[in-house]
Amino acid sequence: MKRRKFLSAAGISVALPALESLAASSSKVTGPRNFVAIGTYLGWHQNAFYPKETGTDYSTPSTLKPLESYKDSFTIFSGLDHRAPNGHGNWGNFLCGQSIKSYSVDQMIADQVGGKSRFPSIQTVAGAGEGAKAMSFTKEGVGLPMIQRPSVLYKLLFPSKADRARTEYLLRSGRSALDEVTADAIALQKSLPSSDANILDQYFTSLRSVEKRMGQQLAIINEPVPQPNYKLPSYDPITPNLQMEAEAIFYDLMALALETEPSRVMSLFLDGLGQVFSIDGKALGAGYHGLSHHGNDPAMIQDLITIETAHMHCLSGFIKQLQEKKTVTGKSLLDDTIVLVGTGMGDASRHSNRDLPTLVFGGGFKHKGHLSFDHNSSSSPLLGDLYLSIMQKLGLEVSEFSNANKNLNGHFS
Amino acid sequence: MRLAMGSFIAGAFLLPACIFASPIPEKPYALIERYCLDCHDSDTQKGEVNLETESIDWSAKDNQHLWERVHKVVNEGLMPPENKKQPTSSEREELSRWLDSTLLQHIPIAITPPRRLSNTEYQTTIQKLFEIHDFKLPVGFPPDAKYHGFNNIASGLTISPPLMEAYQNVASQLADSLYPPARETPKVKTLVAGPDDLVLSFSAATVHGDALRLVSRGNDSVMRSCTWPSRMEVNRSGTYRITVSASKFKPIKDEPMELEIRAREVAASDRTHVGSFRFLKTFEFSKESAESVTFEADLYEGQTLMFRWKNAETTHNPSEVSAHMRAWFERDKRMLAAWQHTVYPGQGVKERSGGLGSLRGLNGWNIVKQHLNDPDLDLSNATMDHPKTVALLKVLRTISGGRFNLADAICHYYHENGPALQLHKVSMEGPLKLVDSPQDKQRYAKRKRLFGNVAEEKTEEYFEAALHKFLVRAFRGPVAQETIDRYSRIGTTHWKEGHSFEEGMHLVLRKILVSPRFLFRSIPTKDTQQHQLAARLSYFLKGSPPDSTLLKLADSGQLSDPTVLKKEALRLMPKDARHDIMIKSFTGQWLETDRLGEIMPDPKFKFDASKIGMARLEVEYFFAAMLKENRPLADFIDPDFTYATPIFAKDVYKIDRKLKGRHDSIQRVNLSQGGRVGGLLGQSAIMLTTANGVDTQPVLRGAWVLENIIGMPPPEPPQDVPALTPDIRGATTPRELLAAHTKEASCAGCHKRIDPVGFVLENYDPVGRWREVWPKSKKKIDPTGVLPAGTDLKDVTELKAWLVKNIDHFGLCLSEKLMTYATGRIPNYAERKELESIVSLNIDREKGFQDLLLDLIQSKTFRN
Repeated sequence: MKRRKFLSAAGISVALPALESLAASSSKVTGPRNFVAIGTYLGWHQNAFYPKETGTDYSTPSTLKPLESYKDSFTIFSGLDHRAPNGHGNWGNFLCGQSIKSYSVDQMIADQVGGKSRFPSIQTVAGAGEGAKAMSFTKEGVGLPMIQRPSVLYKLLFPSKADRARTEYLLRSGRSALDEVTADAIALQKSLPSSDANILDQYFTSLRSVEKRMGQQLAIINEPVPQPNYKLPSYDPITPNLQMEAEAIFYDLMALALETEPSRVMSLFLDGLGQVFSIDGKALGAGYHGLSHHGNDPAMIQDLITIETAHMHCLSGFIKQLQEKKTVTGKSLLDDTIVLVGTGMGDASRHSNRDLPTLVFGGGFKHKGHLSFDHNSSSSPLLGDLYLSIMQKLGLEVSEFSNANKNLNGHFS
Repeated sequence: MRLAMGSFIAGAFLLPACIFASPIPEKPYALIERYCLDCHDSDTQKGEVNLETESIDWSAKDNQHLWERVHKVVNEGLMPPENKKQPTSSEREELSRWLDSTLLQHIPIAITPPRRLSNTEYQTTIQKLFEIHDFKLPVGFPPDAKYHGFNNIASGLTISPPLMEAYQNVASQLADSLYPPARETPKVKTLVAGPDDLVLSFSAATVHGDALRLVSRGNDSVMRSCTWPSRMEVNRSGTYRITVSASKFKPIKDEPMELEIRAREVAASDRTHVGSFRFLKTFEFSKESAESVTFEADLYEGQTLMFRWKNAETTHNPSEVSAHMRAWFERDKRMLAAWQHTVYPGQGVKERSGGLGSLRGLNGWNIVKQHLNDPDLDLSNATMDHPKTVALLKVLRTISGGRFNLADAICHYYHENGPALQLHKVSMEGPLKLVDSPQDKQRYAKRKRLFGNVAEEKTEEYFEAALHKFLVRAFRGPVAQETIDRYSRIGTTHWKEGHSFEEGMHLVLRKILVSPRFLFRSIPTKDTQQHQLAARLSYFLKGSPPDSTLLKLADSGQLSDPTVLKKEALRLMPKDARHDIMIKSFTGQWLETDRLGEIMPDPKFKFDASKIGMARLEVEYFFAAMLKENRPLADFIDPDFTYATPIFAKDVYKIDRKLKGRHDSIQRVNLSQGGRVGGLLGQSAIMLTTANGVDTQPVLRGAWVLENIIGMPPPEPPQDVPALTPDIRGATTPRELLAAHTKEASCAGCHKRIDPVGFVLENYDPVGRWREVWPKSKKKIDPTGVLPAGTDLKDVTELKAWLVKNIDHFGLCLSEKLMTYATGRIPNYAERKELESIVSLNIDREKGFQDLLLDLIQSKTFRN
């Protein structure tokens, strides 16, 4: 196959998906290589998400109806959570475990497997209202900004000819002018007392290294870059009411990104505030956030389920693409990718953070239908235990995550 | 004279000893031989310490450090170990005296080493230089290493290729922000939005066939009253021709309906106040059939139009909702009864199950409507003075009672029955011509401020003026003509190659920002001593590069004048815990409160992130007050005040008396001296950072007090001691646990110094609350301890009393930390001597903390 090369739109950092890693994937790595996390700000209404029965023989609950044809490819988890305090502010621990703003599972994975990709991880958001400012957190607890505009993600993944010309210009002009900087540094060094003459040594070494790297980047800048046959709309669907539209595009772009390999770890945050959706031509009775505070009113719950089902409809489009697309080794992209769908909010109506509805797709797991745990039992597993199983499946050697130190391998592997 | 040093490549080669070496006199040599060389001769070199030499080469920094250590262990009685033969006290004194004089003789006050900007300094430097006050280092920027507890120490500030690349990326972004790449001329397009392309937010708007109805005039937040196109975003700032068609729906008044049009950012928060968006036009509509209006307006990149019915019947405004409903209820008993039944369905004034939240929007209105349509609707309670009416009008005033929820439901009455203002179509044609956005104008103005008010032309004269102005600030001092020429040449060459003015400037900026003259400080070139002092003073007190006043004083050579220096130090003195970086940065590193973000207290302590934040603020407010009020140093240990929110003071410090002010606003809290609460040792943040969030570790707390308060840091564990797992069976309290630990002879020497200090603080749990028993064993805590000098302590109050009585220890410790932070190096022997005399003068003359800081700034240690 042709060795693919990518350029970053920022024009500076360029990495090659190394031939070696592709070769390695065909020979020794058999487990999944990609991870995608999807989280909603306003939870998932549990009664319409959890089947009444456990195991594989269940009748599909209404929210999951759009996913019915992929039943064999995912597992529903009920009763898992992080045993964290309640409250809206704690939503943000979805990927972090017990404490908000701590090292999130996707970043742990990115730090281990993302390094060889052009983007160690990509974070996106659809329907931005006022939700959490970040879903993914670095080891240092820094929340990672999320891409809101599909056009921005597209430009990163598939830089246009003009983008690449700009990159080339910046590299060329930058490299040639480095000579003057080097000369300036040498002049400065000469003016130093001899005892301090070596203080710029590291500076010179680093400058030379950067110069060399610019040369390497220039050498491959005009090699062809895959351009997908994909048409973005002429506007960015960033108003909150266009959430489903944005969501569907991000799913398309994520599937393309996994296929062309500029990134292996991605997340999509589904935010929500007062936007009133029109679904199947009918405007709902209140905004998304208002509906999530349904107070068990049946009419409001019905509208809320309509929204959540629409999210699942978008998701099913993503799963479909992953199932159809093949990796270089011939297996489906879905087998090569673990997709985690969940939330940090167990019951938005009460701001309860217990019992978080969770789905896991693909990844070569043996899927079990509906796995139910008793979240009121102190010995019951944590959501973090599921994250441990996910990380282990991706080949990470890890035995602890936040407050979890077991795994779910006994139930799910 | 400064001697050539082999110190940077420590021990890699030896200079011929005969040149610099000075011999050890006979008497001390005999003492060293008798008491030290059994273990520390060149064969054994225990702990990698070799003292077998007849003369000392003082030009080697390693030797300076070695003999300083020897002085410390001799002076403090740490060596020889207990199981070896001991010198008499006069022998110990003699050796100590010789070491003191010889160290002073051979170790001069050092010179502040050149170093690159730390990440924090780099960030503030860019903020100041480019006037971007919220500039933050990008995620993933390579972090600084901490060295001796501080992240701005010269030896820790290395430069690596990834860091260089990160500098280059930041430079490119900054250049983009001032000189963005040229863009193509856009084509004129017409975008059209029908009712289905307009945002429905909360209950502000609904769609009925070809019309979108607006019903609320609320101006609190746009999301409750406005609509705006969702697919019509301006991507080039310009003049656009806008056409809007609208009509009245079931008006009840003759007066026209006023449609207010503003420009909003598509990506702005929907909670934004209506008035925050730029007003464009108001149009009056008087007909019930669609009418079109057309106007031209400037719209900027990222914006779209926003519509509100300005004189609508209903509203969400806090003061008006309740009055509006009162008037309605007064004229319409059925409406009142329907609402009463909806909100309070039972006998009493009890809200419906599910709460007011479930009455939001259409759902609430549908329930009211069911009651309205009920022919048997019970009107018997529908009076204005009925408790249900009173309660209803009250919740319509209170935000938590659901004013918004109910107002949203009321909107749906108007959506169905009118009056409403209907929008039919919005179209936007353009850009008819391009205009500068406010951001563009700000950018041009900033360019003038940074580079001078010179015509932006591709000439050498431009650079002559522009670079002269900019480089003096970027390089923080005078800039030689050849340097200006060099950077000017980068730009002029680029222009000659056919590039635009902007591209030339872009390139020059990118290069200036990776020059060592920008990235490094304290570069000891000729003629820059004054400017180095200016930078040192400014980075120390303000965390940022020198301002124009400092630079002018440095230019004229006046800054080193002690009177001027003092005046400037006073001017730059940190005052405000919230805004002065130095306070957060210095206390964070000195007291290790930087670590608080990593500590997650066990949920059983009920100590969440906001309390951790408050704990850190307490330290910072306290430090700021100590400085601003010039309090005596003893107040660091036993003050009569602290800072806390009332809720925090009650929860953590058990201060039960009523404090003034909001329960969550930070304020000064008076304390009585001599107690447990108050001062660094009892502060929650300190107890947090010296524990791990779960349990306490006396070793950590002991070592922390010795290092950061008393200034007798325990020596690093020798490298040849293997890590060990002590036998801890049967130990049920931390004290027993550590007793087992210190049975190991190789640990005992130091741990006997460390642990007893830590025990004194055992009464503080891992978050700083007072406790009397250990949580697991339920045994009563024994807080007795011993200081390294042998003083017995009953509990923490005695430790505080001892520290106050011997405040010189703390004073010297604090001074050393301040000077480490200020100069980027650990004070050497001679410098510590200088600091000692400054501290004892401060104490003798009953001066305060600010005086100390001013005197330190006048010291040779700081000025060199």
